[in-house]
Amino acid sequence: MKQSLAGDQHAYTTLLQETSRLLQPYLAKRLGFTNEVDDLMQEVLISLHKARHTYDGNRPYKPWIYAIARFRLQDYLRAHYADQLHRADDFFELEEILQIDVTESPFSYESISGEVQKLPEKQATILRMMHQEGYTAKEVAAKINMTESAVKVAAHRAYKILRQRLEK
Amino acid sequence: MANINELINELAQDTAVVKPARHPAVLSIEWILAAAFYLATALIFFGYRPDLTAKLQETWFLAEIVVLVAIFLTTTLSAALLSFPDMHQMPRFTLIPAISFSIFTMVMLFALQADKPPSPPPDHSFICTMSITLFAILPAIWTFYVMRKLASTHHYRAGSIALLAAFSVGALWLRFYEQNDSILHVIEWHYLPMIVVSFIGMWMGKIFLKW
Repeated sequence: MKQSLAGDQHAYTTLLQETSRLLQPYLAKRLGFTNEVDDLMQEVLISLHKARHTYDGNRPYKPWIYAIARFRLQDYLRAHYADQLHRADDFFELEEILQIDVTESPFSYESISGEVQKLPEKQATILRMMHQEGYTAKEVAAKINMTESAVKVAAHRAYKILRQRLEK
Repeated sequence: MANINELINELAQDTAVVKPARHPAVLSIEWILAAAFYLATALIFFGYRPDLTAKLQETWFLAEIVVLVAIFLTTTLSAALLSFPDMHQMPRFTLIPAISFSIFTMVMLFALQADKPPSPPPDHSFICTMSITLFAILPAIWTFYVMRKLASTHHYRAGSIALLAAFSVGALWLRFYEQNDSILHVIEWHYLPMIVVSFIGMWMGKIFLKW
């Protein structure tokens, strides 16, 4: 770390690689999915980079990096559970909606599917991937080279068009 | 994993020489000197209570000032340590303010008991809290500004302790400035607001010490 603080690129690359190897089991033990571990690892490495001036090289490295990793992990879990809570709220709303008889839908699967085909190609692809193939917006974004927010916006527009067409 | 390797290569491109942050002890000494200068300037500018020399001969007043100074010193050191992700690997030192506050509570209780018959309270009340708060704004801004440049992983505690350190400078100034002997008033309007201040500090820490 002392060498990397002095601007040694090779030493810094090695340090970052060793750090990610060191933290991998720590994060994997606490998170369920590999993609979550990877996401968080990236955040930890960025945090290390941002906070590297708070390490002077005169005290052990591990407690310092573990403090950062623990901090980012707590942040991540806090955000994750807040999101879960938010989804739970959505389910409460859903329960109210479920009281309504939805078995007799005015729209058939065929009519929806037909309307999806009529959408612009990109929107149709996004809806097909998200609803038939079960991809998340993030995964769709990665597959078709778009940003996650662009996928969400495109999907939203597609829903709007579909709703208008089906209500006609 | 490919993403991580990509990120590592990207981060490693930044080969600028990094100057390590100053040791927390050095940081806290800087804060203490700055606060002492600020306090001295304010006392020269606004003046000090005319009976200050006589008051410093009184046991409980002197004890109150000494422990208040101890609160300032310990909270400053603690805030400096809490600015580092690993608390500079001295986590126990961050708890020292608890000892100062405990001693301070005891001193104030003894001072209250010794204040017999009770000195008449001044006409004003919350104006003291306001004055202390206004006086503490500058040290608080400076402390938070320096702490933001570091990387605290204990936002709530760091914010709370930093604000208490700044507030204790204000409390010291008012005790030197205001000619007031009512311990009850001092407890109620000078020191009890510290509890509220510590909560505000937590909130400020959450907002301003994010990185």
